[in-house]
Amino acid sequence: MQTFRYNDIEFSLTVAGDAWDLASRSSDGREAIVGTGLFAGAGADDALLRAKSLSKTIYPAGIRLVGPDVDHPLKIGDMKIVGPDVSHPNLIYWDKDSTSFPRTL
Amino acid sequence: MEIKGSVAIVTGGGNGIGEAVAKYLISNGAKVAVVDVAQKNIDRVVKDIKEMGGEAIGVQANVASEPDTAKFISATLAAFGKLNVTVACAGIIRDGTMLSLDKETGKVNRKMGLDKWQPVIDINLTGTFLTLRDSAEAMVNGGWEGLLVTISSVNKEGQVGQINYSSTKVADALMPKIIVGEFQLRHIHNIRCVGIAPGYTATPMVEGMNQEALQHILKDVQIGRLVRPEEIARLIGHCIENEAIDGTTIEITGGLCYEGGVAK
Repeated sequence: MQTFRYNDIEFSLTVAGDAWDLASRSSDGREAIVGTGLFAGAGADDALLRAKSLSKTIYPAGIRLVGPDVDHPLKIGDMKIVGPDVSHPNLIYWDKDSTSFPRTL
Repeated sequence: MEIKGSVAIVTGGGNGIGEAVAKYLISNGAKVAVVDVAQKNIDRVVKDIKEMGGEAIGVQANVASEPDTAKFISATLAAFGKLNVTVACAGIIRDGTMLSLDKETGKVNRKMGLDKWQPVIDINLTGTFLTLRDSAEAMVNGGWEGLLVTISSVNKEGQVGQINYSSTKVADALMPKIIVGEFQLRHIHNIRCVGIAPGYTATPMVEGMNQEALQHILKDVQIGRLVRPEEIARLIGHCIENEAIDGTTIEITGGLCYEGGVAK
Protein backbone atom coordinates (compact mmCIF):
# COMPACT_ATOMS: atom_id res chain seq x y z
CA MET A 1 0.00 0.00 0.00
CA GLN A 2 1.22 3.49 -0.83
CA THR A 3 0.00 6.58 0.97
CA PHE A 4 0.17 10.28 0.24
CA ARG A 5 -1.28 13.42 1.72
CA TYR A 6 -3.05 16.20 -0.16
CA ASN A 7 -4.39 19.16 1.77
CA ASP A 8 -5.85 17.69 4.95
CA ILE A 9 -6.72 14.33 3.37
CA GLU A 10 -4.71 11.12 3.68
CA PHE A 11 -4.94 8.86 0.62
CA SER A 12 -4.07 5.19 0.38
CA LEU A 13 -3.48 3.32 -2.85
CA THR A 14 -3.70 -0.46 -2.75
CA VAL A 15 -3.30 -3.17 -5.36
CA ALA A 16 -6.55 -4.86 -6.42
CA GLY A 17 -5.72 -7.58 -8.92
CA ASP A 18 -4.08 -5.87 -11.88
CA ALA A 19 -5.65 -2.53 -10.91
CA TRP A 20 -5.67 -0.16 -7.96
CA ASP A 21 -8.09 1.01 -5.31
CA LEU A 22 -7.84 4.52 -3.93
CA ALA A 23 -9.29 5.45 -0.54
CA SER A 24 -9.26 8.62 1.50
CA ARG A 25 -9.36 9.58 5.16
CA SER A 26 -10.07 13.20 6.01
CA SER A 27 -8.81 15.01 9.11
CA ASP A 28 -12.14 14.45 10.87
CA GLY A 29 -11.73 10.69 10.43
CA ARG A 30 -14.24 10.22 7.61
CA GLU A 31 -13.21 7.49 5.21
CA ALA A 32 -14.30 7.07 1.59
CA ILE A 33 -13.54 4.87 -1.39
CA VAL A 34 -12.39 7.37 -4.00
CA GLY A 35 -12.13 4.83 -6.78
CA THR A 36 -11.97 1.12 -7.43
CA GLY A 37 -10.43 -0.93 -10.23
CA LEU A 38 -8.42 2.08 -11.39
CA PHE A 39 -5.34 2.33 -13.65
CA ALA A 40 -5.44 -1.30 -14.82
CA GLY A 41 -1.97 -2.58 -15.69
CA ALA A 42 -0.17 0.46 -14.30
CA GLY A 43 2.98 -0.02 -12.23
CA ALA A 44 3.29 1.35 -8.70
CA ASP A 45 5.01 4.60 -9.65
CA ASP A 46 2.66 5.35 -12.54
CA ALA A 47 -0.39 4.48 -10.42
CA LEU A 48 0.80 6.80 -7.64
CA LEU A 49 1.26 9.68 -10.08
CA ARG A 50 -2.18 9.14 -11.58
CA ALA A 51 -3.76 8.76 -8.15
CA LYS A 52 -2.30 12.09 -7.04
CA SER A 53 -3.57 13.77 -10.20
CA LEU A 54 -7.04 12.25 -9.74
CA SER A 55 -7.17 13.27 -6.08
CA LYS A 56 -6.44 16.90 -6.93
CA THR A 57 -9.25 16.80 -9.47
CA ILE A 58 -11.84 15.27 -7.14
CA TYR A 59 -10.86 17.37 -4.13
CA PRO A 60 -9.76 20.64 -5.74
CA ALA A 61 -8.58 23.45 -3.54
CA GLY A 62 -8.07 26.80 -5.09
CA ILE A 63 -9.67 30.09 -5.89
CA ARG A 64 -11.07 31.48 -9.08
CA LEU A 65 -10.95 35.23 -9.44
CA VAL A 66 -13.76 36.83 -11.39
CA GLY A 67 -14.84 40.39 -11.94
CA PRO A 68 -16.18 42.47 -9.10
CA ASP A 69 -19.66 41.71 -7.88
CA VAL A 70 -20.54 44.64 -5.69
CA ASP A 71 -23.71 43.00 -4.41
CA HIS A 72 -22.17 39.69 -3.41
CA PRO A 73 -22.20 39.03 0.34
CA LEU A 74 -18.83 37.30 0.14
CA LYS A 75 -17.14 40.21 -1.62
CA ILE A 76 -13.70 41.04 -0.27
CA GLY A 77 -12.49 44.27 -1.77
CA ASP A 78 -13.27 43.85 -5.45
CA MET A 79 -12.99 40.08 -5.42
CA LYS A 80 -15.88 37.67 -5.26
CA ILE A 81 -14.93 34.29 -3.84
CA VAL A 82 -16.50 31.34 -5.64
CA GLY A 83 -15.67 27.68 -5.90
CA PRO A 84 -12.59 26.53 -7.78
CA ASP A 85 -12.66 26.17 -11.54
CA VAL A 86 -10.59 23.03 -11.91
CA SER A 87 -10.32 23.37 -15.64
CA HIS A 88 -9.01 26.93 -15.55
CA PRO A 89 -5.42 27.21 -16.78
CA ASN A 90 -4.58 29.65 -13.99
CA LEU A 91 -5.92 27.48 -11.20
CA ILE A 92 -3.50 27.26 -8.31
CA TYR A 93 -3.83 24.20 -6.13
CA TRP A 94 -3.55 25.19 -2.50
CA ASP A 95 -1.37 22.57 -0.87
CA LYS A 96 -1.84 23.83 2.69
CA ASP A 97 -4.73 23.33 5.03
CA SER A 98 -7.62 24.26 2.76
CA THR A 99 -10.18 24.45 5.54
CA SER A 100 -8.31 27.19 7.36
CA PHE A 101 -7.64 29.18 4.18
CA PRO A 102 -10.83 31.30 4.16
CA ARG A 103 -10.30 32.31 7.77
CA THR A 104 -6.88 33.81 7.00
CA LEU A 105 -8.21 36.34 4.49
CA MET B 1 -22.32 2.17 -29.24
CA GLU B 2 -21.19 -0.70 -27.06
CA ILE B 3 -21.58 -0.41 -23.31
CA LYS B 4 -18.50 -2.57 -22.75
CA GLY B 5 -15.45 -0.35 -22.65
CA SER B 6 -17.43 2.88 -22.50
CA VAL B 7 -17.07 5.51 -19.78
CA ALA B 8 -20.14 6.91 -18.09
CA ILE B 9 -21.08 9.62 -15.62
CA VAL B 10 -24.22 9.01 -13.57
CA THR B 11 -25.40 11.93 -11.46
CA GLY B 12 -27.65 11.02 -8.59
CA GLY B 13 -25.78 7.72 -8.75
CA GLY B 14 -25.93 7.20 -4.99
CA ASN B 15 -29.43 5.72 -4.87
CA GLY B 16 -32.66 5.00 -6.73
CA ILE B 17 -32.60 5.06 -10.52
CA GLY B 18 -29.05 6.45 -10.64
CA GLU B 19 -27.68 3.60 -8.53
CA ALA B 20 -29.42 1.04 -10.73
CA VAL B 21 -28.04 2.69 -13.88
CA ALA B 22 -24.50 2.81 -12.48
CA LYS B 23 -24.58 -0.87 -11.50
CA TYR B 24 -26.17 -1.95 -14.78
CA LEU B 25 -23.47 -0.19 -16.77
CA ILE B 26 -20.75 -1.68 -14.55
CA SER B 27 -22.19 -5.18 -14.94
CA ASN B 28 -22.04 -4.70 -18.70
CA GLY B 29 -18.41 -3.62 -18.76
CA ALA B 30 -18.52 0.18 -18.55
CA LYS B 31 -16.42 2.36 -16.26
CA VAL B 32 -18.54 4.71 -14.18
CA ALA B 33 -18.20 7.96 -12.26
CA VAL B 34 -20.79 7.86 -9.49
CA VAL B 35 -21.75 11.46 -8.74
CA ASP B 36 -23.97 12.32 -5.81
CA VAL B 37 -24.42 15.01 -3.20
CA ALA B 38 -24.37 12.46 -0.35
CA GLN B 39 -20.92 10.96 0.29
CA LYS B 40 -22.32 8.06 2.33
CA ASN B 41 -24.44 6.98 -0.64
CA ILE B 42 -21.44 7.25 -2.97
CA ASP B 43 -19.38 5.13 -0.56
CA ARG B 44 -22.04 2.42 -0.47
CA VAL B 45 -22.44 2.25 -4.26
CA VAL B 46 -18.70 2.36 -5.00
CA LYS B 47 -18.17 -0.37 -2.38
CA ASP B 48 -20.80 -2.51 -4.13
CA ILE B 49 -19.09 -1.86 -7.47
CA LYS B 50 -15.76 -2.91 -5.95
CA GLU B 51 -17.38 -6.21 -4.91
CA MET B 52 -18.71 -6.59 -8.47
CA GLY B 53 -15.13 -6.22 -9.72
CA GLY B 54 -15.97 -3.05 -11.62
CA GLU B 55 -14.13 0.19 -12.27
CA ALA B 56 -15.57 3.33 -10.71
CA ILE B 57 -14.83 6.59 -9.00
CA GLY B 58 -17.07 8.44 -6.58
CA VAL B 59 -17.37 12.20 -6.72
CA GLN B 60 -19.38 14.28 -4.27
CA ALA B 61 -20.93 17.20 -6.12
CA ASN B 62 -23.86 19.56 -6.30
CA VAL B 63 -25.04 19.38 -9.91
CA ALA B 64 -26.38 22.94 -9.73
CA SER B 65 -22.84 24.24 -9.21
CA GLU B 66 -20.62 25.02 -12.21
CA PRO B 67 -17.37 24.36 -10.30
CA ASP B 68 -18.73 21.03 -9.05
CA THR B 69 -19.79 20.08 -12.59
CA ALA B 70 -16.32 20.91 -13.89
CA LYS B 71 -14.94 18.82 -11.04
CA PHE B 72 -16.74 15.60 -11.87
CA ILE B 73 -16.12 15.96 -15.60
CA SER B 74 -12.39 16.53 -14.99
CA ALA B 75 -12.23 13.67 -12.50
CA THR B 76 -13.85 11.28 -14.98
CA LEU B 77 -11.36 12.21 -17.67
CA ALA B 78 -8.45 11.98 -15.21
CA ALA B 79 -9.54 8.50 -14.10
CA PHE B 80 -10.70 6.95 -17.36
CA GLY B 81 -9.38 9.16 -20.17
CA LYS B 82 -12.67 9.67 -22.05
CA LEU B 83 -16.42 10.12 -21.69
CA ASN B 84 -19.15 8.36 -23.69
CA VAL B 85 -22.35 8.32 -21.65
CA THR B 86 -23.85 10.82 -19.24
CA VAL B 87 -27.07 10.03 -17.39
CA ALA B 88 -28.43 13.01 -15.46
CA CYS B 89 -30.41 11.26 -12.73
CA ALA B 90 -29.95 13.80 -9.94
CA GLY B 91 -33.34 15.15 -8.97
CA ILE B 92 -35.42 16.21 -6.00
CA ILE B 93 -39.06 16.90 -5.13
CA ARG B 94 -40.56 19.61 -2.89
CA ASP B 95 -44.27 19.01 -3.45
CA GLY B 96 -47.00 21.50 -2.65
CA THR B 97 -49.75 23.53 -4.27
CA MET B 98 -49.06 27.03 -5.53
CA LEU B 99 -51.80 28.43 -3.26
CA SER B 100 -53.48 27.14 -0.12
CA LEU B 101 -56.87 28.47 0.85
CA ASP B 102 -58.39 28.96 4.25
CA LYS B 103 -61.33 26.54 4.49
CA GLU B 104 -63.58 29.04 6.25
CA THR B 105 -62.86 32.28 4.39
CA GLY B 106 -61.83 30.87 1.01
CA LYS B 107 -58.96 33.34 0.96
CA VAL B 108 -55.35 32.49 0.29
CA ASN B 109 -53.57 31.73 3.53
CA ARG B 110 -50.31 30.34 2.14
CA LYS B 111 -48.31 30.47 -1.09
CA MET B 112 -45.58 28.16 -2.32
CA GLY B 113 -42.36 29.91 -1.38
CA LEU B 114 -39.14 30.10 -3.32
CA ASP B 115 -37.70 27.75 -0.71
CA LYS B 116 -39.78 25.00 -2.39
CA TRP B 117 -39.54 26.32 -5.94
CA GLN B 118 -35.91 27.23 -6.42
CA PRO B 119 -34.10 24.07 -5.19
CA VAL B 120 -36.16 21.93 -7.59
CA ILE B 121 -35.39 24.28 -10.49
CA ASP B 122 -31.72 24.36 -9.50
CA ILE B 123 -31.22 20.59 -9.25
CA ASN B 124 -33.66 19.18 -11.81
CA LEU B 125 -33.32 21.84 -14.52
CA THR B 126 -30.11 23.84 -14.08
CA GLY B 127 -28.29 20.74 -12.84
CA THR B 128 -29.35 18.71 -15.87
CA PHE B 129 -28.38 21.58 -18.18
CA LEU B 130 -24.91 21.97 -16.65
CA THR B 131 -24.30 18.22 -16.60
CA LEU B 132 -25.27 17.82 -20.26
CA ARG B 133 -23.56 21.02 -21.40
CA ASP B 134 -20.19 20.14 -19.88
CA SER B 135 -20.45 16.47 -20.85
CA ALA B 136 -21.17 17.48 -24.45
CA GLU B 137 -18.21 19.87 -24.36
CA ALA B 138 -15.91 17.05 -23.25
CA MET B 139 -17.31 14.64 -25.87
CA VAL B 140 -17.02 17.17 -28.71
CA ASN B 141 -13.53 18.28 -27.76
CA GLY B 142 -12.41 14.70 -27.18
CA GLY B 143 -13.94 13.44 -30.41
CA TRP B 144 -15.69 10.61 -28.54
CA GLU B 145 -18.91 8.92 -29.51
CA GLY B 146 -21.50 9.75 -26.89
CA LEU B 147 -25.01 9.63 -25.49
CA LEU B 148 -26.57 12.23 -23.19
CA VAL B 149 -29.58 11.09 -21.16
CA THR B 150 -32.05 13.29 -19.31
CA ILE B 151 -34.40 11.81 -16.73
CA SER B 152 -37.85 13.30 -17.14
CA SER B 153 -41.02 11.88 -15.59
CA VAL B 154 -44.51 10.88 -16.61
CA ASN B 155 -45.51 13.91 -14.53
CA LYS B 156 -44.17 16.10 -17.32
CA GLU B 157 -47.84 16.11 -18.35
CA GLY B 158 -48.54 18.32 -15.34
CA GLN B 159 -49.23 17.03 -11.86
CA VAL B 160 -51.21 19.08 -9.38
CA GLY B 161 -49.06 19.62 -6.30
CA GLN B 162 -45.88 19.48 -8.37
CA ILE B 163 -45.82 22.80 -10.25
CA ASN B 164 -42.08 23.00 -9.55
CA TYR B 165 -41.21 19.37 -10.32
CA SER B 166 -43.48 19.01 -13.38
CA SER B 167 -42.14 22.27 -14.83
CA THR B 168 -38.60 20.91 -14.67
CA LYS B 169 -39.54 17.49 -16.01
CA VAL B 170 -41.30 18.86 -19.08
CA ALA B 171 -38.11 20.81 -19.76
CA ASP B 172 -36.00 17.69 -19.26
CA ALA B 173 -38.25 15.91 -21.78
CA LEU B 174 -37.80 18.71 -24.31
CA MET B 175 -34.03 19.05 -24.03
CA PRO B 176 -33.14 16.05 -26.25
CA LYS B 177 -34.95 17.57 -29.23
CA ILE B 178 -33.22 20.93 -28.81
CA ILE B 179 -29.79 19.45 -28.16
CA VAL B 180 -29.99 17.04 -31.11
CA GLY B 181 -31.17 19.90 -33.33
CA GLU B 182 -28.20 21.96 -32.23
CA PHE B 183 -25.84 19.04 -32.90
CA GLN B 184 -27.36 18.65 -36.36
CA LEU B 185 -26.77 22.34 -37.11
CA ARG B 186 -23.17 22.02 -35.89
CA HIS B 187 -22.56 18.85 -37.92
CA ILE B 188 -22.05 16.82 -34.74
CA HIS B 189 -23.25 13.36 -35.70
CA ASN B 190 -21.57 11.09 -33.14
CA ILE B 191 -23.29 12.37 -29.99
CA ARG B 192 -26.94 11.56 -29.34
CA CYS B 193 -29.39 12.71 -26.70
CA VAL B 194 -32.46 10.94 -25.34
CA GLY B 195 -34.83 11.47 -22.43
CA ILE B 196 -36.34 8.79 -20.22
CA ALA B 197 -39.68 9.51 -18.56
CA PRO B 198 -40.36 6.95 -15.83
CA GLY B 199 -43.71 6.41 -14.19
CA TYR B 200 -44.03 5.49 -10.53
CA THR B 201 -40.76 3.76 -9.73
CA ALA B 202 -39.73 1.56 -6.81
CA THR B 203 -37.23 3.98 -5.35
CA PRO B 204 -36.80 4.25 -1.57
CA MET B 205 -38.74 7.53 -1.73
CA VAL B 206 -41.84 6.02 -3.39
CA GLU B 207 -41.74 2.71 -1.51
CA GLY B 208 -41.52 4.61 1.76
CA MET B 209 -44.63 6.66 1.12
CA ASN B 210 -48.00 6.10 2.79
CA GLN B 211 -48.94 2.54 1.81
CA GLU B 212 -52.60 3.41 1.30
CA ALA B 213 -51.63 6.19 -1.11
CA LEU B 214 -49.25 3.80 -2.84
CA GLN B 215 -52.01 1.23 -3.37
CA HIS B 216 -54.21 4.00 -4.79
CA ILE B 217 -51.49 4.84 -7.30
CA LEU B 218 -51.00 1.21 -8.28
CA LYS B 219 -54.70 0.94 -9.17
CA ASP B 220 -53.91 2.98 -12.29
CA VAL B 221 -50.83 0.99 -13.33
CA GLN B 222 -51.68 -1.76 -15.79
CA ILE B 223 -48.90 -4.11 -14.71
CA GLY B 224 -50.07 -3.67 -11.13
CA ARG B 225 -46.74 -2.76 -9.59
CA LEU B 226 -44.10 -0.04 -9.52
CA VAL B 227 -41.54 0.15 -12.30
CA ARG B 228 -38.24 -1.24 -11.06
CA PRO B 229 -35.12 0.98 -11.29
CA GLU B 230 -33.34 -1.94 -12.96
CA GLU B 231 -35.94 -1.89 -15.76
CA ILE B 232 -35.19 1.79 -16.37
CA ALA B 233 -31.47 1.00 -16.34
CA ARG B 234 -32.01 -1.70 -19.00
CA LEU B 235 -33.90 0.81 -21.18
CA ILE B 236 -31.00 3.24 -20.91
CA GLY B 237 -28.63 0.41 -21.82
CA HIS B 238 -30.76 -0.24 -24.91
CA CYS B 239 -30.60 3.46 -25.81
CA ILE B 240 -26.81 3.32 -25.60
CA GLU B 241 -26.65 0.33 -27.93
CA ASN B 242 -29.34 1.39 -30.42
CA GLU B 243 -28.07 4.31 -32.48
CA ALA B 244 -31.47 4.97 -34.02
CA ILE B 245 -32.88 6.16 -30.69
CA ASP B 246 -32.13 9.88 -30.67
CA GLY B 247 -33.76 13.24 -30.03
CA THR B 248 -36.77 11.82 -28.23
CA THR B 249 -38.12 11.07 -24.77
CA ILE B 250 -39.30 7.55 -24.01
CA GLU B 251 -41.87 6.76 -21.33
CA ILE B 252 -41.52 3.68 -19.13
CA THR B 253 -44.57 3.58 -16.88
CA GLY B 254 -45.88 0.03 -16.68
CA GLY B 255 -48.98 1.19 -18.51
CA LEU B 256 -49.95 4.10 -16.27
CA CYS B 257 -53.54 5.10 -17.01
CA TYR B 258 -55.93 7.85 -16.14
CA GLU B 259 -58.90 6.68 -14.07
CA GLY B 260 -61.17 4.70 -16.35
CA GLY B 261 -58.38 2.98 -18.22
CA VAL B 262 -57.16 5.60 -20.68
CA ALA B 263 -53.41 5.27 -21.05
CA LYS B 264 -51.53 8.42 -20.08
